[in-house]
Amino acid sequence: MAASMCSRGLGPWVLSRSHALPCAWRALHVSAACAKNRAARVRVGKGDKPVTYEEAHAPHHIAHRKGWLSLHTGNLDGQDHAAERTVEDVFLRKFVLGTFPGCLADQLVLKRRANQVEVCALVLRQLPAHKLYFLVGYSEALLSHFYKCPVRMHLQTVPSKVVYKYI
Amino acid sequence: MRMRLVAARSGTPRFYSGSATLPKGEGADVTGIEVVIPKRKTWDKVAVLQALASTVNRDTTAAPYAFQDDPYLIPTSSVESRSFLLAKKSGENAAKFIINLHPKYFQKDIAEPHIPCLMPECFEPQIEDISEAALQERIKLKKVKASVDMFDQLLQAGTTVSLETTNSLLDLLCYYGDQEPPADYHFQQSEKSEELEEASEENTEKPKKKAGQQLGATWRAKNNAERIFALMPEKNAHSYYTMIRGMVKHRAPVQALNLYTELLNNRLHADVYTFNSLIEATAMMNEKYEEKWNNMLELLKQMAMQKVKPNLQTFNTILKCLRRFYAFGKLPALQTLREMKALGIEPSLATYHYIIQLFYQHESPSKGSSLVIYDIMNELMGKKFSPQDPDDDMFFQSAMRVCSSLKDLELAYQVHGLLNTGDNWKFIGPSHRRNFYYSKFFSLLCLMEQIDITLKWYKDLIPSVFFPHSQALIDLLRALDVANRLEVIPQIWKDSKEYGHTFRSNLKEEILMLMARDQHPPELQVAFADCAADIKSTYESQDARQTAPDWPAGSLNCIAVLFLRAGRAQEAWKMLGLFKKHNKIPRNELLNEFMDNAKASNSPAQAIEIVRLASAFSLPVCEGLAQRVMTDFAISQEQKEALGHLTASASDSDSDSSSDSDGDINEGK
Repeated sequence: MAASMCSRGLGPWVLSRSHALPCAWRALHVSAACAKNRAARVRVGKGDKPVTYEEAHAPHHIAHRKGWLSLHTGNLDGQDHAAERTVEDVFLRKFVLGTFPGCLADQLVLKRRANQVEVCALVLRQLPAHKLYFLVGYSEALLSHFYKCPVRMHLQTVPSKVVYKYI
Repeated sequence: MRMRLVAARSGTPRFYSGSATLPKGEGADVTGIEVVIPKRKTWDKVAVLQALASTVNRDTTAAPYAFQDDPYLIPTSSVESRSFLLAKKSGENAAKFIINLHPKYFQKDIAEPHIPCLMPECFEPQIEDISEAALQERIKLKKVKASVDMFDQLLQAGTTVSLETTNSLLDLLCYYGDQEPPADYHFQQSEKSEELEEASEENTEKPKKKAGQQLGATWRAKNNAERIFALMPEKNAHSYYTMIRGMVKHRAPVQALNLYTELLNNRLHADVYTFNSLIEATAMMNEKYEEKWNNMLELLKQMAMQKVKPNLQTFNTILKCLRRFYAFGKLPALQTLREMKALGIEPSLATYHYIIQLFYQHESPSKGSSLVIYDIMNELMGKKFSPQDPDDDMFFQSAMRVCSSLKDLELAYQVHGLLNTGDNWKFIGPSHRRNFYYSKFFSLLCLMEQIDITLKWYKDLIPSVFFPHSQALIDLLRALDVANRLEVIPQIWKDSKEYGHTFRSNLKEEILMLMARDQHPPELQVAFADCAADIKSTYESQDARQTAPDWPAGSLNCIAVLFLRAGRAQEAWKMLGLFKKHNKIPRNELLNEFMDNAKASNSPAQAIEIVRLASAFSLPVCEGLAQRVMTDFAISQEQKEALGHLTASASDSDSDSSSDSDGDINEGK
């Protein structure tokens, strides 16, 4: 069996033997296994785990029961820079998650329109309203300066995480 | 068919362009038409957006766009809206601080074309050696002390500094009065200085408030600017101008005027900006009004002699100074205005603001106020203004103040129409000025306008434009009272809870008083009773927060009456119990109504309860009530005896403490 060692954050990395012999050779995986059938799925529990609508549906339900979390034209035919958009998305999600500590009720929805980025966040009512405005002003200014384009934040507040079902 | 086609082709060819190439032999009726190709129109970059914007009116149900569209995040009072906007701005300042602290992470420029405002800024001087370039850099970065030090070092090293650099150094020193620019200069545009200026404005208007806040720096004698000025080997006119303007800005008029004479002695001429400062300087001197005015006229004559053309600022400065002359300034102000028109300089909104302030300085119209405001508004009808003077945004506030004191609604509509013309809405000013304008406008509407139109304005303005004071709502309630539209009151109460008036006791008392005053048809009574129950719950929640319960006596009376009239007898009786708890006296009419109610429900026990309550408060009406009970109700013998006891005790305590009970009754009313 191929020995798999934990190597964080590098994705599947395969160490190959020499290519001299054309016969079958064993490959060595040294990273964590990311199986496609376990992506973005919350594992079923005893019925006490609350999940939101977003979490409850698996990725194959996208475009059937779910929408997209990130909307841009990079993946259309003949368009490029999809990878840059994805990297930006990862940064934006991490940034907003850290800036609004414990306040996000669900994943961000990122919309790109013309040269603007609109960050739509579902926020819990943890912080008083003026603190939320402070954080909104801060993140809008910082992200605009970072990406050299207008970044707008739209918040919607909910009293608690919106539970779709318990699994 | 073929023959016809051939025939068509052989006919005369048509010419589609009406140019001069038409053959002359065509006929007498077809003349040679000259085509004039029109000039190519250049559109503004945002012309399409402006056209689209003109199709959309303001949404009266939405909060201003600067706020997030969420019920938790929409402000409910003017204090909150200001605090949210300030919080957002301070978040932006915090972000800018972080960006300028670590500029290396923000250097990657992916914007095409380049956006300079999204790049990190550098506030520290880069050039370290002692040279003129280093001095210029420090001047550009507005570092006052560093540039003075650099200048001194350059002089000590023996290098001569060029005239322009020295002049720009003088500019920096004179603008900031030889002090560093305020520490948060980079973050606050000019809000603080604005507020201070307004404070000083209000001080000049109402001298009874604490006067004379020192704004900014005062010009110290022998400060760096004067020293450097004295050190300069050659001075040109610009040096003199800067020094004079700096001295006037920092309140040293005598030195400014002396420097002006020196300027004239050197056979130099002053420019228009310097003259504007000198006019201010003459007004700052400690002389009589006539002397000051004569000095100003003298300066203007010199200006004409030196062939310097006055500009808008000249006249605005004159009017601003005339404002402080009170009654003396009225005639010169009109003369100034005429001169302005004669020279063809278009007055700005600030001009009219100064004139209004001059002519309408005191609030009372009984002295026979002038009609100049009507002339002004006739002049300004339909005009669109652009910003030309920092005081332009004070016009609408003072105009509406005058309309309000004159109680003229037509004029107010004219002023409001001017506000909505073109881009004039930009001149409404900061939030407190906008609130003042709209509060006065709305109060005037409540006072003078028909109730339907007032209610339409109410829906239009509140709360999307301004949050009303409790006084404005009380005015609206009084207007409803006059127009006999009391059924709107529960709706007004529901709305005012949303603008943060839940715990405003004068508003609640007014509402209850209006509802409880007269009898009304049953459905309305039910609505009123619901409203009263709501108000009662707000009082109760207020009690929970405070240690000492404090319900006004009027409110208790009104709530009890409203419950009674709507047939909610249980709750009404509970209210009676509350009177004792809060140490308040029920009114006689209230007790009579309770008696009527007891009679209607035919329960003598309740009637006796009322009498007991009356005697507990030692009210003189207790006797009358007891009589009534005995006549109207069928009561048993023991109840009669109990009544007798009660009245006896009441009459005993009556004679002892009649004065006390009088006082109590007054309190109850």
